[in-house]
Amino acid sequence: MEPERFQQVFKRLEAEVRKVIVGHDDVIRQVLIAFFAGGHVLLEGVPGLGKTLLVKSLSHVLGVSFKRIQFTPDLMPSDIVGTEVLTEANGRREFQFKKGPIFAHVVLADEINRATPKTQSAVLEAMEEKQVTVFGESHTLASPFIVLATQNPIELEGTYPLPEAQLDRFFFKLMVAPPSPVELREILKRTTGTETGDAGRVLPDDGGKVVNQMQQLLRQVLIAPPIEDYVVRIVHATQPNLSNGNRSTSTVKQYLRFGSSPRGAQAIILGAKGNALADGRIHVSYEDVARVIYPALRHRIILNFQAEAENVNTDEILAEVVKQVPRS
Amino acid sequence: MRTSTDAQNRESPEQRVGRLVAQLRNHALWDSLLIFSPPLLVAIYLAVYLYRGAWIAPIAFLLLSGAVIGVGLLAVMIRTRPLIPSVRSAARLVDEKTEAKDRFLTLATIDMARWPASLVGRLRREAATLLERIDFRREFPYRIKRSFYWSFLVSLIVAALFHLSMPLMGSSRRPAPAYEKLSELAEKMAQRPSLSALAHDLRTLAMKLEHPNVAEQEKQTLIHKTLEQVEKQQKKEEEKESRALLGEASSTLQGLEQQSARSQQKDAEKGGGGAQSNPSQEGQGERKQSQGGGGGDSKGELNAERSKDMQQGQGARGAPKEQSKEKNQQSQRDGKDNQPDPSNKSDKDTGKELTGKTPGGSQEKLGRSRSEEIPQGAPPAERFYQPGEQGKEGVKGARYVTVQLPEELAADSKGEGAISKPSKETRAYLKVPVSNAPLPAYVPDAPTEKQPLPLEYRGIIR
Repeated sequence: MEPERFQQVFKRLEAEVRKVIVGHDDVIRQVLIAFFAGGHVLLEGVPGLGKTLLVKSLSHVLGVSFKRIQFTPDLMPSDIVGTEVLTEANGRREFQFKKGPIFAHVVLADEINRATPKTQSAVLEAMEEKQVTVFGESHTLASPFIVLATQNPIELEGTYPLPEAQLDRFFFKLMVAPPSPVELREILKRTTGTETGDAGRVLPDDGGKVVNQMQQLLRQVLIAPPIEDYVVRIVHATQPNLSNGNRSTSTVKQYLRFGSSPRGAQAIILGAKGNALADGRIHVSYEDVARVIYPALRHRIILNFQAEAENVNTDEILAEVVKQVPRS
Repeated sequence: MRTSTDAQNRESPEQRVGRLVAQLRNHALWDSLLIFSPPLLVAIYLAVYLYRGAWIAPIAFLLLSGAVIGVGLLAVMIRTRPLIPSVRSAARLVDEKTEAKDRFLTLATIDMARWPASLVGRLRREAATLLERIDFRREFPYRIKRSFYWSFLVSLIVAALFHLSMPLMGSSRRPAPAYEKLSELAEKMAQRPSLSALAHDLRTLAMKLEHPNVAEQEKQTLIHKTLEQVEKQQKKEEEKESRALLGEASSTLQGLEQQSARSQQKDAEKGGGGAQSNPSQEGQGERKQSQGGGGGDSKGELNAERSKDMQQGQGARGAPKEQSKEKNQQSQRDGKDNQPDPSNKSDKDTGKELTGKTPGGSQEKLGRSRSEEIPQGAPPAERFYQPGEQGKEGVKGARYVTVQLPEELAADSKGEGAISKPSKETRAYLKVPVSNAPLPAYVPDAPTEKQPLPLEYRGIIR
């Protein structure tokens, strides 16, 4: 696939989703980038901001299969990955694997923090390995595969916050902000009148193939070693307890319990590549990196008690890190 | 021009970035050179100044200059090295100028083999298109940094301060003792066969001068003798360098002679107002006057100096002159025509007296170089006419005459004048030069005091 084709598809996908979703341009773009980078996205925002609609619209315009899982405390892993059921065919009874909702190109894990850790961990394997194992038998998931999970930052009673290991599996964590007055007016206009916006399909029925080609192209995007070094320095600077060297900023030392894992650096690089391609470039620039640092790292750095007490959020700490780390 | 532009266009973006690195390296080098040049030049100037002022030896000058240049080059190197931009920095500069969004950085730094050639080729084409927008010479011109102006200003101030303060330091510096100079000269002369004898004399003189127990009178005599030898040798010498050495020795000796005379004068003044408390000074002045009637073709400058000397001589006489007034009056009574009264002497007369015989060229030089305090001109002994030599007006107008008659003439003069009866004492007296002025030291058995002119000489002197 040519880079121009990638950009063309990308722009069309953005445009179609925007027909349904008002505002959240960055979120739409980042979700698409994560999708083409082969990563999963955690969307965080209060209810009613259009998270579910975004995911549905995205799957629709991509022309890929879509499944939604509403996470509840009584949700079982088999409800997600599927289970063996006894079937009778031609007078013979046998167990047959019944695929769960995880077997789709786009999976919406709605309010993922309401399920028990056992259920959450069932999704864990699927997200990372892109396969599920039921009764000792592994089943490969569809390709492309993306889990778009949502969680509500309020109403934390009866929820099971995602463990750090599971958070780390998410490529990006995107914050869905409330709409601005202008956006809200547009939302009202689209949803309360007779005219409703419908997103058209961008990719044909075999959109999965095109997506795979786009994913391959994304990984071929050129990146200069100095930019890679910059990413390494950024990720390294989030470590509060460095054994060699003392590059951590005082803010990091003060407020962080754990820094980013290497997956953070991978997410930055791939996200930057996706960003470059979306802009029609075949090489990564520092600007691309800067645009994906926050969604790639904000869920990978773990705040300590002091930060929680002082209500310091991860974006503030990352801003300090970006400020302290020179580009060259 | 077109060819060079085409050639530039044919260059790949990576090559252009490399060229920019070279250009910026030159800029950094120029910066460093410009910053360190003023202090370096000032340091060399100081070294040259010190060398020319004989503050440092030639070898020290060479070492100092070498060290200054070495340190300067080292400083330029140390400062330039970190300023030389890396390929990354240069590529980023180009990216900023062309708004290439790190295309040049990517091209300049990626490993080509690791990435698809199609994408690299495409990126190169994109970068080449962007390169057409900029001209490196225009976008990255060389500008003199402010640090150069500061360096220049500070160096200028340092040089000016040094230049102004050195004369003050020079005036406060004690000159090397004369005997050291003489020893140096002796060493130099010893290397020349024609001057080896003179070198020995100079060395002996230097040793005596250095020795505190040697009498001042002896020193003066020795200086004078050596000076005469030097001047004789100077006349004979044909080699230029030897003449220069001799000239230097001559001037040193003359200076020493004057210094010695002055110290003697001081000693005499300390000693009290005896009748002959300042014989040399007085004698010097008197002798000048005796030459006064001589040639009128001497140099004005020298005349002026001599006039001062004479005045000093007269002034120096002071009390002693008053005390010896009786003797002078007696002399005046004895020979009114020949010996005019110094106290009645007019300015014109003084001028006449001063326009007496001028000694040789070296004496002229010496006369010009001497200070006002020191009596100027040739040694006193040389200010006398040589036997048979007469000035413009002969001995007329001369105040003091020294006469040394041959024995036979003295014998003839006995009967001629019948002024006095010949006696053993008179004959013995004739052997001793007689003068009413102190005789020069080289005259054997010369009395240091003024001698009344014997009556028997009156007929001889015309």
